[in-house]
Amino acid sequence: MAVIAGTDSTGRKIRWTLLDIVVVVYALVPVLWILSLSFKTPETLNDGNFIPRAWTLENYRLIFQTPEFVRALANSIGIALIATAIAVVLGTMAAYAIARLDFPGKRVLVGVSLLIAMFPQVALVSPLFEIERSLGLFNTWPGLILPYITFSLPLAIYTLSAFFREIPWELEKAAKMDGATPGQAFRRVIAPLAAPGVFTTAILVFIFCWNDFLFAISLTSTEASRTVPAALSFFTGASQFEDPTGTISAAAVVITIPIIVFVLFFQRRIVAGLTSGAVKG
Amino acid sequence: MRGATRTGRGRTSRRRAVATFTAALALAPAVAACGSGGGGVTTINVYYAPEQNFQKVVDQCNAKAAGRYRIVLNTLPRDADGQREQMVRRLAAGDTEMDVLGLDVTWVSEFAEAGWVTEWTGENKAEAERGTLAGPLETARWKDKLYAAPKNTNVQLLWYRDDLVQQPPRTWDEMLAAAKQLKDAGKPSQVLATGAQYEGLVVLYNTIVASAGGQILSEDGGRAVMDAGAVEGLRVLRDFATSGVASPSLTNSKEGEVQRGFEAGAAAFELNWPFVYAAMQKGNPELAPHFKWARIPGVTPDVPGKATIGGYDLAVSSYSQHQDEAFETALCLRSAESQKFSAINDGVPPTIESVYAEPEMAEAYPMRDMILEELKDPAVRPLTPAYQSASTIMSKVLSPPGAIDPQATAERLRRELQDAIESKGVVP
Amino acid sequence: MSEASQLSAENVAGASATARGVRGGSAGSTGSARRAKPVLSEGKKAERRLGLLLCAPAALVMIAVTGWPIIYSVWLSLQRFDLRFPDQREFVGLDNYITVLSSPYWWTAFGVTALLTVVSVVLELVLGMALALIMHRTIVGRGLVRTVALIPYGIVTVVAAFSWYYAWTPGTGYLANLVGPDTALLTERLPALAIIVSAEVWKTTPFMALLLMAGLALVPDDLLKAAAMDGASAWQRFTRVMVPVMKPAILVALLFRTLDAFRIFDNIFVLTSGAQDTASVSMQTYNNLIKGLNLGVGSTMSVLIFITVAIIAFVFVKVFGTAAPGSDQGGRR
Repeated sequence: MAVIAGTDSTGRKIRWTLLDIVVVVYALVPVLWILSLSFKTPETLNDGNFIPRAWTLENYRLIFQTPEFVRALANSIGIALIATAIAVVLGTMAAYAIARLDFPGKRVLVGVSLLIAMFPQVALVSPLFEIERSLGLFNTWPGLILPYITFSLPLAIYTLSAFFREIPWELEKAAKMDGATPGQAFRRVIAPLAAPGVFTTAILVFIFCWNDFLFAISLTSTEASRTVPAALSFFTGASQFEDPTGTISAAAVVITIPIIVFVLFFQRRIVAGLTSGAVKG
Repeated sequence: MRGATRTGRGRTSRRRAVATFTAALALAPAVAACGSGGGGVTTINVYYAPEQNFQKVVDQCNAKAAGRYRIVLNTLPRDADGQREQMVRRLAAGDTEMDVLGLDVTWVSEFAEAGWVTEWTGENKAEAERGTLAGPLETARWKDKLYAAPKNTNVQLLWYRDDLVQQPPRTWDEMLAAAKQLKDAGKPSQVLATGAQYEGLVVLYNTIVASAGGQILSEDGGRAVMDAGAVEGLRVLRDFATSGVASPSLTNSKEGEVQRGFEAGAAAFELNWPFVYAAMQKGNPELAPHFKWARIPGVTPDVPGKATIGGYDLAVSSYSQHQDEAFETALCLRSAESQKFSAINDGVPPTIESVYAEPEMAEAYPMRDMILEELKDPAVRPLTPAYQSASTIMSKVLSPPGAIDPQATAERLRRELQDAIESKGVVP
Repeated sequence: MSEASQLSAENVAGASATARGVRGGSAGSTGSARRAKPVLSEGKKAERRLGLLLCAPAALVMIAVTGWPIIYSVWLSLQRFDLRFPDQREFVGLDNYITVLSSPYWWTAFGVTALLTVVSVVLELVLGMALALIMHRTIVGRGLVRTVALIPYGIVTVVAAFSWYYAWTPGTGYLANLVGPDTALLTERLPALAIIVSAEVWKTTPFMALLLMAGLALVPDDLLKAAAMDGASAWQRFTRVMVPVMKPAILVALLFRTLDAFRIFDNIFVLTSGAQDTASVSMQTYNNLIKGLNLGVGSTMSVLIFITVAIIAFVFVKVFGTAAPGSDQGGRR
């Protein structure tokens, strides 16, 4: 970075600021439109104005008055966090083995995990439903956590092993020479170095779990485990033919906040992890 | 098939216990062993589309059941496909915990043919048919047997602005001519209808075909007919789309766009369900006093238009363990009293004729006489177990309506619909 | 199923063969430290055990959840089985495949899907790379840019699609009002496809950018410094130094985005519901399998989509050779 950034002249700063603004505008304009829809009153909802002419908090009041929404929010947070944690741990273990160790069946594992990522999920939902029903997992947290882990693992394994390959492994060797077992080398030396990949993966997996609609709608039946994307389709409009645009927009805004918090928390680590590794290297 | 528990009620604490996935597998048999029904009272599970105040109707019926059984309302997703998908998935798995099912009027033949719903007989049947309008009742029948009880119905009306149009048109030709005149005079002139590639386009086409006296499928649903009336219907639809007075976004218009488009003020006519009346009072109070209704336009001046029937029917699942209570529940949920409550509070038109005469109906349904008139001379969508596939094909082939070539399109529809009702070939 | 998994095992094997030959300078300075086996049979055994142990949980979960459903889908694709006509169930071999592959509807959807996939993935790669560079290197408000840039990916797809739909609806949307009152772009084929692509690109570029940014984080500073001293231009530093190190990250990003893009559903469903021949193969699968309840034909479509993406994945792994996970481990330590 230092190479290219050179000295921090004001001109550079201004140029970067302009680029930043472009990025922010690109990313945020459609989001602001949703935000705007969520603040519009029913009368002005369809006027096509980007900025609401009349503002209201009614939509937010409505969704937080619905116990189902609050419950769904709790489900979403719990399920996504648990699934992310487990998927990242399992993915890290497997990816380390794939990137570093020689053992039979490695290629099969890599191939099979890709196959799973590729099979159209819409075809898997019905059989999964029947399995979960007979195991008593239907409409429970584990009933969603398990598929989420499964379908995020391939991405996790691929991402992580791609990053693990680029890590300077001589450090591990050094640790082993100092008497560390392979397990210790993994925990103490490689894990911190792997942080950028791990946190990138965590963000992607979390967003995947957070946004999933297909499994959420198919494998839940009550608020016991229904997550927000599924709960959105139970919001009612004024009649069968009118979509509750206002409340859906408000809910979309609310459920984006945890994502922002999650990303804010983890994005620092993406570089922090590397810098610490590079210093050691 | 150990899993007898699915409803998740009264299991909160246990759910927490299984909230970690390692524990889950170990505990699954224990969860399953602990059956439903809690305190020994029979539970009747009703699966129904979201309707704001339907829980109150359920509460009423619970009070009537006086503790003999407990009705639990399970709300299905908002969109019809989502509702059907959830019910079908469970029925295909032989789920015994669904008792009463809310079916869109186009699903009854499918569910009946697949053996998922129980036939109505004897006293229950007589009760369901008593005072019920013939049109909605027809949607609940399959092969001359009754498989459901109509809960609420729906028909589209022709809505127009009386500040622009003095005399509502009786036919499509009259309507298009009037709109063209308005356009030439520089006034709001659009004609709005549900022309997107979805069920609404099929409803529009079915309405036109029935008004022209045509048929799409044979009575028994076994053969694609596409007779002269159906070809005439294609011509009318095409002429409308290419008339220059259809909305430019016709091919992307669903009920909501039609309603909002009219409220925005550029249109003179709209074909839509009665919900637009209440929506107009809120959405554009200035325009509301000029918002008037008439019978759906016909194809020939001497035959009034026939509107396609919508709405929901209640059926009892074949896998229900409590058939008697389920029938009783269904009858209570669609009783005259319940229907009146839902009509006034949720805007869903009743299927029992006498309800329309109730004094409270006047305020919520100023257009109730016209609804009733259309309901007595209605159009029913083709009855076939493969309706969903037939509908997907029709909406595909009819879209965009401007590209219809009546003879060729009819030929294509006849061929592809025949495949669809025999479950051959690919649905687009 | 077995056919497909063999295919995939083969491609990994093939990639690994190329890998051994090519591997070397490509990964820059870090590559030089890796080399051949300390062959101790005791250590080897321990390594195998550890490898299997580390992979076992992930493998078990994946197989437990998806094994049966995938096999069942393949089995269904060989049957005539329509839930609406349960009595007519029978084994028909490959008949369903002939039905689907001879349907013009299938091929139209296939073409649309392929077009959407190629266009959106290319755009995403270019934009994603630009975004990644900005996110990685900006000297002003880095945390803000990184977080904000990821928001589109975090928005629930259906909601995002609806917001585009409203924005493009004449009379009620700000974008539609910008292009003029009487044009409904979503009702014309090419503009509708363009809108679908833009919605898709906007939504998923952050996914690409995040993976690429993490790849950028692996590019050693001293390497860039050395290249700059040797007089390499910014573009040369990018193509000769950064891209090779990022190759694995690029592969993963491209591979998973392509596989996902080929299964596009939500955006089309909301924006056009497939009108004007904009339906994708996933929408068609949904219409046959879930809506049409034709389990035979619907499952056949799923398997065909699966085979198609397997071929795409195979090509990717071939092209990227060394960068494919699990490809070159024989020679690396």
